[in-house]
Amino acid sequence: MRDSVSGKTSLRRKGWTRKEWHYFWLGLIFASPWIIGFLIFTVYPFFSSLYFSLTEYDLFNPPRWVGMDNYKAIMKDHNFYKSISNTLFMAFISVPVTLFSSLLIAMLLNFKVKGINYYRTIFYLPAVIPGVASALLWTWMLNPDFGLVNIFLRWAGLPDPAWLLDPQFTKPSLILMGLWGSGAGALIFLAALQGVPQTYYEAAEVDGANWWYRFWKITVPALSPIILFQLIMGLIGAFQIFTESYILAGGKAGGGNSLGGPAQSLLFYAVNLYQEAFINLKMGYASALAWILFIIVMLITLLVLKTSKRWVYYGGE
Amino acid sequence: MMRKGSTWGLILVLLVTLVSGCGSKDTPSSEKEGGEAKSVDTPKEKVQLSFWYGWTGPEAEALEKLIKKWNEANPDIQVKGLSQSDYQKQLTAITGGNPPDVASNFGSDVVPWGERGAMMPLDDYIQKDNVDLSDFVPAALSSSQSNGKTYAIPIAMHVSMLFYNKDLLEKAGFSGPPETMSQLKEYIAKLSVKEDGGKLQQLGLWPGVDAYTFSYAYGGSYYDADQKQVTPDNAGVKAAVEFGKGIWDQFGSKELDRFASGLGQYMSPQNPFFTGKYAMTIDGEWLPTFIKQYAPNLKYGIAPIPYDENNASLKDPGNVSTSVFYIPKGVKHPEESWKFLKWMAEPEQMAEFTAAIGNLPTRTSLQTHEIYKDVPGFQEFLQYSSSPNLHSFPATSFSTEYMTEFSNQYNAILRGDIGVDEGLKRVKDKIQALVK
Repeated sequence: MRDSVSGKTSLRRKGWTRKEWHYFWLGLIFASPWIIGFLIFTVYPFFSSLYFSLTEYDLFNPPRWVGMDNYKAIMKDHNFYKSISNTLFMAFISVPVTLFSSLLIAMLLNFKVKGINYYRTIFYLPAVIPGVASALLWTWMLNPDFGLVNIFLRWAGLPDPAWLLDPQFTKPSLILMGLWGSGAGALIFLAALQGVPQTYYEAAEVDGANWWYRFWKITVPALSPIILFQLIMGLIGAFQIFTESYILAGGKAGGGNSLGGPAQSLLFYAVNLYQEAFINLKMGYASALAWILFIIVMLITLLVLKTSKRWVYYGGE
Repeated sequence: MMRKGSTWGLILVLLVTLVSGCGSKDTPSSEKEGGEAKSVDTPKEKVQLSFWYGWTGPEAEALEKLIKKWNEANPDIQVKGLSQSDYQKQLTAITGGNPPDVASNFGSDVVPWGERGAMMPLDDYIQKDNVDLSDFVPAALSSSQSNGKTYAIPIAMHVSMLFYNKDLLEKAGFSGPPETMSQLKEYIAKLSVKEDGGKLQQLGLWPGVDAYTFSYAYGGSYYDADQKQVTPDNAGVKAAVEFGKGIWDQFGSKELDRFASGLGQYMSPQNPFFTGKYAMTIDGEWLPTFIKQYAPNLKYGIAPIPYDENNASLKDPGNVSTSVFYIPKGVKHPEESWKFLKWMAEPEQMAEFTAAIGNLPTRTSLQTHEIYKDVPGFQEFLQYSSSPNLHSFPATSFSTEYMTEFSNQYNAILRGDIGVDEGLKRVKDKIQALVK
């Protein structure tokens, strides 16, 4: 490699060789289905939503330019604040809790016991089940009268809340459902766990480090890039949470055609956005909401990345 | 080892996908002039019409029977029915420029969609074919009309009445249903039973029931079209909200949530009214058919909605909602679509369809039709549907948002998150901004 490059220094300066151009175009042609799809279905909607966010647009009539009006209206909309606070609750409580539980599950699944493959399958299974199906399943599980969860709580002598009807408990219900699906994250952790060199543990053990110490000083740092990845993906996912609320809160308590559950306790950002766009037919307003979400998620992601320098260790460094 | 540049790139791509996923939509629909289709259709060719309706199961079968009847009589206009209960798909099809030729929808969607141009105004056709609109129940028709235009024909309507459990009322010492609002209050207090431990066993009436019906009982209204003012804060609406709040507070959210979560499915033998958990309920004309099917031994009565004793002229109030047929904007054969729609709304077909699915007809001339003779509970409902105090929620381009916002704030008021006046003011502030 190095030889051939240095040998062609003069050519380099002028640009690519014929052959290189040839491969470049050939590569582009092979990649073109994706590129075209990306341009049409991602780049175009991305920029058109920016344009629509500055208009009043109801799908049927041509968009009407209103400048920053949508953004100004959002700042005064109490549904916006309600949905933001519900969403932040999920992002800052549900994401760390789920992350921790999937790490725990991954460590359990890392033990070399008989039939471990079956356990791994069982824990991963919920991740395969579509969101709608698992949400429906949980409406039965969380039924205060005959649901499995409350039967157990009563048996243990603990308070058994009306999970999906009491506004204080609707979000914890969703977190509980999320925990059930933490097998997907556990799988990624498991792969990473198996990449941690055993020699570290052996050395630590020789030095007399206990389990907890080994966990904090070896496992967590070794997994930190994966934790960062899962944290960011989890945050992005939390900001888009929709299905569970849509299924669980569809027309419950209070009636009317409003989404968002009892006392709007499940009115998440994406649910509010959906309602504005497809029920109230305010596409411009919804586009503006989407852009505000974009900015919020970007800022939070940047913040996480910035702090990550302090706690993420990359093996190669 | 991750390189900085590629990480940023990856995150950017992820975020771009996120935003475009949320905001993506169909490209702006090309402006189509669906309304002014010319009627100089040259020699009749066989036309295929697609007809999307929201009914499923046995109700869809009743509709298919009518479609078959039409197809046999009209070889040149063949209709193909499709059960499509996801109304969002209609929107997508219309904006995509490939709509069904005729479709059904809820009355509450008509004006919001119609005013935005998703539905074809039918007035020219109605005039040309002399369709007698005065035969329609005014409250039902008004939900399809706005600013002098008719966007859809109501085919069936729903009215709420008061259902009561005769055994439970007798046990509590009542000889008949409540007639006035203050009697209703008294009934609810007496008919709500708590177990020794304080756990709610039986409820007189679920307090969260629709405030619209009671607003009309107190003479409330939601919109002043002349002043262009939304009026969720007027005295009648406020009285209805306070009425619901009054029942709610007798028990409190905790108790009611727990009680509600133990209630069975609506369409099942465990329906709380069928099992005696509700002594009274406010429900529509389809309920007797359900009772016949799920709880044949239930002894119940149907009574008018109680009225405000201070205002006897408001007797027999009620909230009307409708199901409609309309022609989407941009259809290729508006003339034929109209012919089919008109035929469906003719008395004969309307009677056959509504009787089959247990809905009320929207034509006053059908209210004495003998086809409804054997439908359980229909005598009461048919009679009630000619009451002058029936109203439907005011049809405006913003009525969907109005109803959503109202039910959100009503809920917050019931739960004590916000005061009555403040909650209603919030509705007013938010919705008034949408009035043009």
